[in-house]
Amino acid sequence: MFDIHVSTGHWPFRPIPGQSIPELYEYLRGFGISGAAVTNTNGLFYLNTQAANLELAEAIKAYPEFFVAVASLNPAYAAAERDLEFCVEKLGFRALRLTPLYHQYALAEASAVIRLAGELAIPVIVPNEIVNFRQKHWMEPSAPLGLEAVLGLCREFPGVNFIFTEGTAAPDGAYPPNLYFELSRFRSSYGGALTELIRNVGADHVLFGSGAPFKAAESSLLKLFHCDITDEERRLTGGDAARALLYR
Amino acid sequence: MITKIPDEFCCIDMHNHISQGPDGKLNRSMAQELLDGATRLGIQRIGVSRPSTEETVEPSKFRRMNDRVVEAMEMSERFVGFCFVDPHFPDEAAAEIERCVVRHGMAGIKLYHQFFICDDAQKPIMDKAAELGVPVLMHAGKCTDPATIAAQPRLSHAGHFLEALKKFPATMLIQAHIGGGGDWEWNLRMLEGIDSDHYFIDISGSVIDAGIVRRTIETVGVDRVLFATDMSLEEGVGKLLAARPSHEELMKICSGNWNRIAGRRRV
Repeated sequence: MFDIHVSTGHWPFRPIPGQSIPELYEYLRGFGISGAAVTNTNGLFYLNTQAANLELAEAIKAYPEFFVAVASLNPAYAAAERDLEFCVEKLGFRALRLTPLYHQYALAEASAVIRLAGELAIPVIVPNEIVNFRQKHWMEPSAPLGLEAVLGLCREFPGVNFIFTEGTAAPDGAYPPNLYFELSRFRSSYGGALTELIRNVGADHVLFGSGAPFKAAESSLLKLFHCDITDEERRLTGGDAARALLYR
Repeated sequence: MITKIPDEFCCIDMHNHISQGPDGKLNRSMAQELLDGATRLGIQRIGVSRPSTEETVEPSKFRRMNDRVVEAMEMSERFVGFCFVDPHFPDEAAAEIERCVVRHGMAGIKLYHQFFICDDAQKPIMDKAAELGVPVLMHAGKCTDPATIAAQPRLSHAGHFLEALKKFPATMLIQAHIGGGGDWEWNLRMLEGIDSDHYFIDISGSVIDAGIVRRTIETVGVDRVLFATDMSLEEGVGKLLAARPSHEELMKICSGNWNRIAGRRRV
């Protein structure tokens, strides 16, 4: 299994236990997860987000087979494109995460860095939110980003793959082929939204994500387990699709 | 990892909902999906209600909504009914509680955000609940985002429950969904030291922040914690398992505490 939705680093608004890389490694492996894409939460708050990427590269150095690094960048900050190139080509990062509501820029300002992500053949992860907006600290965004913003990016950059995390969508909607969904917010046993979504967009477009260490991994594991899909589909959503997306 | 709550715990999800179909009757297919989903996760009984988020709910409407709950109870013995009323209409609400609890065997009362739980307007409801020996399950949260604050200006939080426990000491109160959205730590900080045997809190809601259930158990005591999902089935079971409960804790949370509440029924 591969987890597309893991974070390390300090969250300033509440203590998050088990956030260090060694702790995450043990925690995820305890559930049979054999790899994870990880971002550095510090990258949400540093002015110079590249410092968070350098921290992350150092932290995961001892786990090259397990963790895949995701760059956190503010496209409106100095040297964002240069930083992305450095992260991918020198540090081996395999995805970019954009959080416009935290870094307070318009998505239009992200065009150059998104285009570069496409040239580097890495997906762009766009979280709907980091934690549920109804418990927001006064310094946090007042509302989630919303699926529409990501759909707009998909249309504008058809050659770039986008992964929507911490969000939901109508399971029977029409979605562009460059949009991928992380599953932790979709219902499974009751109503079968996750099954329907997989039938609709394909198991290779729905990715297992736990949200650890912010969230307990058990819920996402239960969602995948109780989903009415074939073994092959479960393998894809459970990890093969994410690996294929990251290791292009 | 276990994938369902083992049968020995006789798990009841005491906070969930049924819906109405286009024909105005119970949406039976959704009700069946709820039963099937619960079965997969080892949930044996499901507490259901049909509340309204409107500011004022006319008696004719809340009676119709409760009729759908009656239909669900007739559809399956696994459904445990909760009666929704609006305290704006105290006489009609008391009569409706009597109808639902005494005649139809519902297990409790469900209130929404028409008033804070500690508001004097709740007194007729609370008195009736105490008389019948059934609990009041109250929609609750401490939301900090502007949209929810504007939409739910009378959303009860733990402070309101503490006041209600003093004002209505004979009534059993259940604070809904510690994971229903909002600053759950704020609620738990308010509840530190609570010793009332009439206070309970359910773990439902889509929020599965790491540590939420363990912190709830440690703060209010395991004897006051109730399993529930409020339609977020995997989230409910997942966060309960993540708390690594002991066998005794799991027994109390899944059914023991609810059975204690149900044992106080007077009718």
